[in-house]
Amino acid sequence: MKAMTVVVIILLTIVSLVYIFPIYWTLVTAVKTSLQIFTYPPIFFPTRFTLSNFYTAGNIFGAVSQTAVGSVPWMIDSTIVAIIATLASTFLIAAPAAYSLVRYIKSVWLGRLILFMTMIPEAVFMVPFFLIVVKINLLNTWWGLILVYISFTAPFATWLLMGFFNDIPKSVEEAAEIDGLSPYQIFYRISLRLVIPGIIAALILNFISCWNELLYALILTYSPFPAGAQTVPLFLTSFIIVEKSFAWGGLAAAGIFTMLPTIILGIYAQKYLARGLTMGAVKG
Amino acid sequence: MSEVVVENLTKKFGNNVVLDNIDLKIDAKEYFVLLGPSGSGKTTLLRLIAGLEEITAGSIYIAGKKVNDMLPKERNVAMVFQNYALYPHLNVYENISLPLKVRHLGPEKVKEKVKTVAETLHIEDLLQKKPKQISGGQQQRVALARALVRDPSVFLLDEPLSNLDAKLRVEARVFLKKLQKELGITTIFVTHDQAEASTMATKIAVLNKGAITQVDNPYDLYRRPNDVFTASFVGSPAMNLVRGVIRRAISGNAWTFSNEDISVSLKDIKLDADGLEVFMGIRPEHVRVVERGKGGIDSTVSVVEPLGSVTYVTVNVGKTQLILQYPGEIKLDMGSSIKIQLDPEGLLLYAVDTGKRLAIDE
Ligand SMILES: Nc1ncnc2c1ncn2[C@@H]1O[C@H](COP(=O)(O)OP(=O)(O)OP(=O)(O)O)[C@@H](O)[C@H]1O
Ligand SMILES: [Mg+2]
Repeated sequence: MKAMTVVVIILLTIVSLVYIFPIYWTLVTAVKTSLQIFTYPPIFFPTRFTLSNFYTAGNIFGAVSQTAVGSVPWMIDSTIVAIIATLASTFLIAAPAAYSLVRYIKSVWLGRLILFMTMIPEAVFMVPFFLIVVKINLLNTWWGLILVYISFTAPFATWLLMGFFNDIPKSVEEAAEIDGLSPYQIFYRISLRLVIPGIIAALILNFISCWNELLYALILTYSPFPAGAQTVPLFLTSFIIVEKSFAWGGLAAAGIFTMLPTIILGIYAQKYLARGLTMGAVKG
Repeated sequence: MSEVVVENLTKKFGNNVVLDNIDLKIDAKEYFVLLGPSGSGKTTLLRLIAGLEEITAGSIYIAGKKVNDMLPKERNVAMVFQNYALYPHLNVYENISLPLKVRHLGPEKVKEKVKTVAETLHIEDLLQKKPKQISGGQQQRVALARALVRDPSVFLLDEPLSNLDAKLRVEARVFLKKLQKELGITTIFVTHDQAEASTMATKIAVLNKGAITQVDNPYDLYRRPNDVFTASFVGSPAMNLVRGVIRRAISGNAWTFSNEDISVSLKDIKLDADGLEVFMGIRPEHVRVVERGKGGIDSTVSVVEPLGSVTYVTVNVGKTQLILQYPGEIKLDMGSSIKIQLDPEGLLLYAVDTGKRLAIDE
């Protein structure tokens, strides 16, 4: 028993390190001078720190051509796209779909099919989605990205919420039926309220996927707000190709800055996330 | 008014027949009790009347209208669920007021109605609490309040008092009965507590394995149960049932019941039943203790249960066990001998093969 615990702790530590290391590396890179960044062997534990990557002579993120003001258009695009796509995918699609699958359709296979959809690599749909977005004239707009993100996030959110709806005792809804509520009122006034932890988990996971998405942002947009809809991940890529050099320090600093919303959300909603994910994992 | 009629009602879950061809007529304003052991189908019958389960065969009428295809809300019934089924995210006040709000009652009226029902059920201090924050008995009263606050055509109450302590339960019984009389609303009350059934009901239906064994008023149900199941189920402690044979004397009309331990002479039986295997049924209060020297059957005391007003004594006559009710207190040692007597007025006979009561004096 005790040996088991030790093994588990060691394994968990290794897994955590694997996940934490990139974040740590970004963090230390952001506070190194460019000389330190390119030193070999690499410096894992820098002893001298600089904030010049975050701010040099009026330029935020130390990059040659990016300024604090410069990042704002990408931030606007990301915020709007992620929020609208997240809300729409969770409330307009996932919640009603999950509820009707659990209460009315009751098909185990349809549930599994939805889970299966979440496992298909998103890149598979690159060509059709590109063509569709072009056809409906939404290239380089918020709505083009939003539609695509809804279609990517809705299946997982649906599957997640199915587990939560399944957990509502049936008699609570039956009581509501007898009390005179219509099916829509039962959904909206009773069942939806009882799965709020699941809703929060779905919202956060959806938001994080939308915020971090790079591939479709890359092919569906080509300029930031106000002319277009390029999102934050694309802002980061601009550090790699700027002036034929790699602005690693600036990239790391900007990376930390743009990571902040997802990290804050993640910490704030940790308990919902853990509950949401384990719940989904237990249910089939 | 709202009488409830159930005709040839059958309910199957898969191949499992849970209710088998049931017929019931519940008059308007009646306080009708469904009594039966666990798993006999009481809840299922209520759910069918409420419209929460689909009928396999047969029909249900409420107030003369066939409701087979009606939604629960169209049937206008109020129900208390066995597991309460309160809305977990709403506080007690909101739980009770929701049925009124969806019926678009004015806010003043809602407040007043909730207040009245909360006071009668002693939950006025809990109105701001969530269901999770109150005890099981309190939750049950909230569930009851949620049903009573409405003005339905039928009340369906599924063991609504099972979780209350003895004092509250008696109080709630009285309150429910009074309220039902006042409102005049047809009530179907499910319980497996026979005492509760007798004290409240105008009529009782006994359910066993999905079939109705008897529908009667409490008095007749207790006095003359129709079959062995009903006899053993209604009454506590249960009726004594002794297996034996009835025989007619070679000459004349004298009948006796006997087994290897007991022999009892019976009243005249106008049946062709000589040699029939029967259960002799007799309630504990019809088994009497006889003073020494006045005859009676020899028996050995095995258990004594003093309850204050009465004492239950289990005795053995040979291998036959009988339980008797002694009015008041009696001091008896285990293993001591006493003489008992069976009151012929309280004797009932049931055929072993059919389980049905023999109509010996009708
Ligand atoms: N949804 C269902 N699916 C399958 N079988 C069911 C279902 N509901 C009830 N049953 C079966 O029907 C039978 C009667 O159940 P019911 O709940 O009506 O009994 P009850 O008399 O209310 O018992 P209790 O006193 O324990 O509440 C049981 O054998 C039960 O297993
Ligand atoms: Mg039941």
